[in-house]
Amino acid sequence: MHNDMNINVHHITRVEGHGNIVVNVTNGRIEKLQWQVPEAPRFFEAMVRGQSYEDIQTIVSRICGICSITHSLAATKAVESALGLKVSEQADKLRILMHYSEQLQSHTLHIGYLAAPDFFGAPSVVPLVSRAIDVVKTIVRAHRVANEWSDLLAGRTTHPVTLIPGGLTRTPAEKQLRQLQKTLKDTIPDLKVIADVVLSVAGNIPKFERQTEYVSLKQTNPPTYTFYHGGITSDDNGGKVVPIEKWHNVANEYIVEQSTAKWAKWHRDSYAVGALARFNNNSELLSPMGKEAAKMFDLKKGCCNPFMNTVAQLVECFHIVETSITMIDELLTKGLKAEKVTSSPKAGKGAGCVEAPRGILFHEYEFDKKGNCIAADICIPTNQNHANIQKDFEKLVPEIINESEDSVRLKLEMLVRSYDPCISCSTHMLNVEFVK
Amino acid sequence: MKKAVIVIGLGNTLMSDEGVGVRVVQKLLDFADSFPQINFVDAGTGGMSILHLIDERDKAFFIDCAKMGKEPGDIKKFTPQEIKSIKALSHQSLHEVDLIKIINMADKLGQCPAEIIIFGIEPQSVKPGCELSKTVSDRLDEYVNTIHKELLKIISSP
Repeated sequence: MHNDMNINVHHITRVEGHGNIVVNVTNGRIEKLQWQVPEAPRFFEAMVRGQSYEDIQTIVSRICGICSITHSLAATKAVESALGLKVSEQADKLRILMHYSEQLQSHTLHIGYLAAPDFFGAPSVVPLVSRAIDVVKTIVRAHRVANEWSDLLAGRTTHPVTLIPGGLTRTPAEKQLRQLQKTLKDTIPDLKVIADVVLSVAGNIPKFERQTEYVSLKQTNPPTYTFYHGGITSDDNGGKVVPIEKWHNVANEYIVEQSTAKWAKWHRDSYAVGALARFNNNSELLSPMGKEAAKMFDLKKGCCNPFMNTVAQLVECFHIVETSITMIDELLTKGLKAEKVTSSPKAGKGAGCVEAPRGILFHEYEFDKKGNCIAADICIPTNQNHANIQKDFEKLVPEIINESEDSVRLKLEMLVRSYDPCISCSTHMLNVEFVK
Repeated sequence: MKKAVIVIGLGNTLMSDEGVGVRVVQKLLDFADSFPQINFVDAGTGGMSILHLIDERDKAFFIDCAKMGKEPGDIKKFTPQEIKSIKALSHQSLHEVDLIKIINMADKLGQCPAEIIIFGIEPQSVKPGCELSKTVSDRLDEYVNTIHKELLKIISSP
């Protein structure tokens, strides 16, 4: 039994914000146990005020380098809702495909670069290159495929340029989609290698469970394992679907002293969003390969081990690739047409929602009659997960309090990483010293 | 087929001088037709995607905001070998990135260009905002000219 423990994962040398893990145990009693997010607010909502409806998605795409397509899509959908713009079936499908590319990009990065080092007991991915170069190269290959896929549909890997209110600026050539389809088929063996590697170290995934609420999108018409369409659901509300425009009643954002980021709660004290939430709410709708991957890891609906979020992401990789191959068939069978999109300003208010790789994301905007933004509200998935991370800490630490301080610290860091948080990518600048 | 040389502008244009690399590469795009063997890319905050951007290239140039202990607005050209990164990462999130670590990883994977040049620009401000600080904004043309001259050397060398 450890009488005293003092864990403070806190870096003061960095400009950008991040999460702090604080554990103070004195004479065996937990005195302080906190997940703190001291990141400086970034005022993105203020930055879009006064901007034209046509420029919103371009600006918000810079919020995040990992989920730039996701932010752009959520914003574009909100703008379309506010202005009453309709999107063609072809553009809708191409956007979903574009969105899938980012899910694969982010998931492969998270599994390979952030979670794998934990499973292999390495401090980061860089030392893994020497220890398991073939595995790292496989991950890098899968990530590269996702990047090239984004390039084709979004106009570039990060910060998309083809999205506009009402549709897309460009339609890919049929030949390019065929090539993409072939590349995706060729990626399946790599995904299987990644799954085998994760399975080989799955014993290192902590056995921890905490019942919580899982919130995600749900699409019933047609029933789809959705990242893009549908309404908001939770496993606590009997599968009922709440319309996107009522998202404030879901997130119920509130302020806590230990965090500059807002927290969220719906039916309980906290809820979880992300791959595991999507899986728990929609797993029966996974593609055959997705179901097979879930079976491989014995991942079942109702899983409440947050460390399994990474496995749920892997399951989604199979689903995304398999579903995209089918979607490309549908697009090619119908034939692609160049589409001209026009829109004009008007006053209105609208909300847009998509699933970011790390969970459900809400954007809401209001425009005046000139089409200039007069109000904006963005609710990111990581903020929705903060309260859940705190509640996980509160259950996990008493269960592992007899382990060494290093072991407790590692498990808490792994727990945070499993949520794949978007704590800050606001500043990436170099911070260097010149070698004398 | 990838072009032999890539010029990558990095940074976040919503954080004032943090986005200077992107602002510079966007201006350099005006000269793209004179450099058919060079790709100019606004990579924003794409992080690990840099691995794929620099793969199969002979040379890579990066333009980025850099805390170097210089005067705000100063530009300095250096190679990865001349510096050490003192950026601490908490490894909690995919969103943290360190260019020097990515270059190191590319090297270990055997997909690093033979030559990498970094142009660091010392920031005046990295607070939220879509505009560059006056100090940096006033020197934007100077940064573009400095890098343009460097690129002209490439096409004139055999």
